[in-house]
Parts: sequence; structure tokens; C-alpha cells
Amino acid sequence: MNAIEISSLKKTYDTGDEALKGIDLNIKKGSFFGLLGPNGAGKTTTIGILTGLVNKTSGNAKILGYDIINDFKLARKSIGLSPQEINLDVFFSIRQILLFQAGYYGVTQKLAEKRVDTILKKLDLYHKKDETSRHLSGGMKRRIQIAKSLVHDPPILILDEPTAGVDIELRHMLWDYLKELNNSGKTILLTTHYIEEAEKLCDEIAIINNGEIIKQGETKSIIKEVSLNTIEVEVDKPSNIKLSDDFDFSIIDNIIKIQTKEVNKEITKIIKEIEQTTTISNINIINSSLEDAFLKLTNK
Amino acid sequence: MNIEFLTFLRREIYRFMVLYKQTIVPALLSSLLYILVFGETLGNKIPKEYFATSYMSFIVPGLAMMSVITQSYQNSASSIMQAKYLRFIEDILIAPLSGLQVSLGYIIGGAMRGLICGWAILVMCIIMPNTDFNVDNWFLTMLYLLTVSWTFSAFGVIIGVIAKSWDEIGSFSNFIFMPMTFLGGVFYSLEMLPNWAQNISLINPIYWMISGLRYSTLSIEEISNVTSLVICLSFSTLFTIIASYLFKTGYKIKS
Repeated sequence: MNAIEISSLKKTYDTGDEALKGIDLNIKKGSFFGLLGPNGAGKTTTIGILTGLVNKTSGNAKILGYDIINDFKLARKSIGLSPQEINLDVFFSIRQILLFQAGYYGVTQKLAEKRVDTILKKLDLYHKKDETSRHLSGGMKRRIQIAKSLVHDPPILILDEPTAGVDIELRHMLWDYLKELNNSGKTILLTTHYIEEAEKLCDEIAIINNGEIIKQGETKSIIKEVSLNTIEVEVDKPSNIKLSDDFDFSIIDNIIKIQTKEVNKEITKIIKEIEQTTTISNINIINSSLEDAFLKLTNK
Repeated sequence: MNIEFLTFLRREIYRFMVLYKQTIVPALLSSLLYILVFGETLGNKIPKEYFATSYMSFIVPGLAMMSVITQSYQNSASSIMQAKYLRFIEDILIAPLSGLQVSLGYIIGGAMRGLICGWAILVMCIIMPNTDFNVDNWFLTMLYLLTVSWTFSAFGVIIGVIAKSWDEIGSFSNFIFMPMTFLGGVFYSLEMLPNWAQNISLINPIYWMISGLRYSTLSIEEISNVTSLVICLSFSTLFTIIASYLFKTGYKIKS
């Protein structure tokens, strides 16, 4: 059984905007899954439908086999959501917010107290437990959002831009924590604008654009399949260069940039051809990234 | 009752209890001032025969009801509006709670505030020196306070969901409830009005609610006490069904 199963999911808003055009998506249990896409692609709408914030137009979605409409209570109990926008209650202390949050999911007061304190310590927020959210920094608020998603110990975490607006140090700390949670067996669905984040954390990704899934698969495979590596060769006399038509290359000053999928296979041939006409002074290999693949797939 | 619902209900009650200086105390203070100012200044000049009791006692049920209506409506409407405005309503919408449970959580929260204010005003008037006010039937009194606070709390939920701004919430309070309450016989008996005004008063549900409470506390029955109770129960049921439907469908709160 998959953690999340989405089939033919459509959403058309009252304004007529077709946010989702019938997407299909399966997310395996225990995976760290990245849902990537430009602004307005349909990421938050998808998450909204899964969690009950957005009414679907048609199609189906299941969380651990529970239908999000017919078995909505069981489906929602299986999910912890950290939404993109900070949405903290202003009336209560941080600890009280988290205790209420746990209670909304059926966690007893005694267990909730124990769990909330553990999470606050883990996220380095225990010293702020009696403060209200008004007195917290942006990074702290972001951590509270993540804490809220964890207090009922759900098997699936949905994190919508969990590191948006936080500094590098905190981002790395959160990455480590999210990895730890994933290693402990939690399935994580992540949306992010930081492609580096997805590349580092996600074992599988889907790229969504204009309400359609345009690519889904293992992160490494997508990078390999979609984007090209670049070999930069610095030469003495670039004007003399003659390379066979097999290569996609460009020359800027005295640097030849050759794009290829198979660096190891092609590099010997490239060096041989260039050395026939000029002398090589330096070679630099730039591996393709998820960002390249993302930009290529979304035509950015 | 499950933990999920009870937690939400606890949150709603805890919210106004924490803010008691804004939610409970001002309601008691303003009622006390009304009673002292109107009761003392006007009361001494109005013959007791008009009301079958002192004027000060006569206005107590109406003022208690006025407070119940305002407080219960304000509680649920502002709680929802604040949650919408700061987006923490999402925590409730994604929780494993049904539309009925969410609406009941807000309704009971608001009803509790109205009930506490109404009850406290009555008790305050009983123990106040220089008044002959007393409650003749506590069971019926609490039933009236509960059904009316439930009605207006449920109405507050509906407006809280539909309203786009704080202005809209305030408008209902200032331009509808306030005139209806003042014209609902808080300060006067129906018999003091001309016939046409009496007929208009009879289509004002708040008049029936105040009359019902006046009957349960002072045993003064201007109109049918049973009809008053039926009106209270009917409105509370109707508004609860509508509020529940709004949360079930996500009208105006889900995309």
C-alpha cells in the first residue's frame, strides 16, 4: 500500500482557474518525496485537497488507504501538516498551542504533555514554551509550525515550504531533523522552492507545472535523464578548434563548453579531438543538478 | 464524547476565560450601570403598579438577556473571524473533526460565555442591596439563558463564517441586535405601548425571549411563556443546522 495515492485529481476554482488538471501521484510509504513546481503550479492546491482545506472538483485521493472524503477522520489523523503560511494562535502560549493541537487528534493530555516537551527540546524551543507567538522570531515560528505537525506522531508529514525564510544554519538543522524523521519511518511529502533542498533530501520527486505532473521518479534518475553535464575546457587557441558534430558545444573567450549526458564516456574523445589543434590548459566538469532539470522541464 | 471535540471545546471556553477582563467583566459592569442609573433614577418615579414589581427588578431580565445576546454572538463571531484572519482556523479545518463538531465547538463556547454573563447578572442583582429582585424558577431561567445564548452563538458562527471583515460582524450587533433588544421590552412593559407598537413588538423574537426570562424570574407573564420557549428552541435548532452545514461544506472558508 502506498502512503498517498492520488488519481485523476482535478480542481477548478470558482474563478474558473484550473489549478489541477487530473493529476495522478503515488507516494511510497517511508519515502521522502518532493513535489516541485513554479509558483501557481498546483502544489499547495494538491496539499490543500489532501488535508481538507480545499474541496476537490473530481478525482480521488487516499491516505494510507483511507479515502479523504469517506474516511476523512482516519485520513486526517494520519497526516501532520506544516503549512506554507505561518498560522499560529495568538491567544495562548506555545506549549498550550501544541497541547491543543495534539488534543485535536485524540492524544490524551498526559501523553501530549510528554510529547510536546520532547519536541520543543528537540527543536530548541523549550525555553520559549510559555511565550506567545507574537514574541518569537520568524525562524522560531517556522519551527513551531513543524512542531504542530508532529505532536500527534502521524505516519505522514506534509511540509509546505518548511524552510522558507529561515537562515542557513537553521535550514541545515531542519534538514538534519527531517532526515532523522524520515529514517525513523515517516513518509514525508515536501514542497520547496529551494531545489537544492529537494535534491539533498528527497529520494523521489514529482515536478508539477500548470496543474499537471510533468515528471515523476527517483531524483537521481530525473537529473540524469533530463539535464546535461557540462565539461569546460580551457585552451590556448580557441579559434583553431574543430569538434565533431556529435558534441553540443559553445566557445566563450578561451573556454569551450561542451554539454553531454555521459561525461566518463565522452571525455577521452573530447580531449583527443581538441588536442589535435590546440593545447589544453585546464578541464573543469560541472555535474548537472536538479535545478537544471527543473528549469528545463518547466521551460524557465 | 471524544478527545478531539472536547479539546476544541476546551480551547473555545479557555479563550474567553483567559481574556475575562475583555469578555466577562465589561458585560457585568455595563449591566450594573444600566440597573443603577435607570433603576435608581427612573425607578423611583414610576409607580410599582405598572410592572407588578419594582422598576429596577423589572429591567433586570431584559438587561441580562441583552448581555447574553451580545456576549454569545460576539464570542463565536469574533473567535471565527480572528481564526480566519490569522489563518489558525486551518488547524481546525484539517483536524479529524466533522462539520457538526466544529460548529458545536464554536456554538457551545459562545453559549457558555452568554450563559455565564446572564447568570452572573442575575446573581449580582439578587445579592445587590436595595433590590427586591429574585429568581422564582431557576430551572426555567437557566433553560432560557441557555437557549437564547445558544441561538445567538449559533448566529454568531454563521456571521463569523460569512463575514469578510470585522465591520460586518459589528454591523449586525450595532444595527440589528441592539435596536431589536431595546425595542424588545427591556425598559418597558408591552401594555405601555400603543396598539400598533405592541403588534410590531410581537414580531420581534427578542421580545419573546425577554418576556420568557421575565416570566421565569419574576413570574410576570405578558405573553405565552410556552410560545417564548418554543421560539427560543426553534431558533437555536435552525441556526445550529445552518452553522453545521456551513462547516460541513466549507462555505466561504474552504476553497
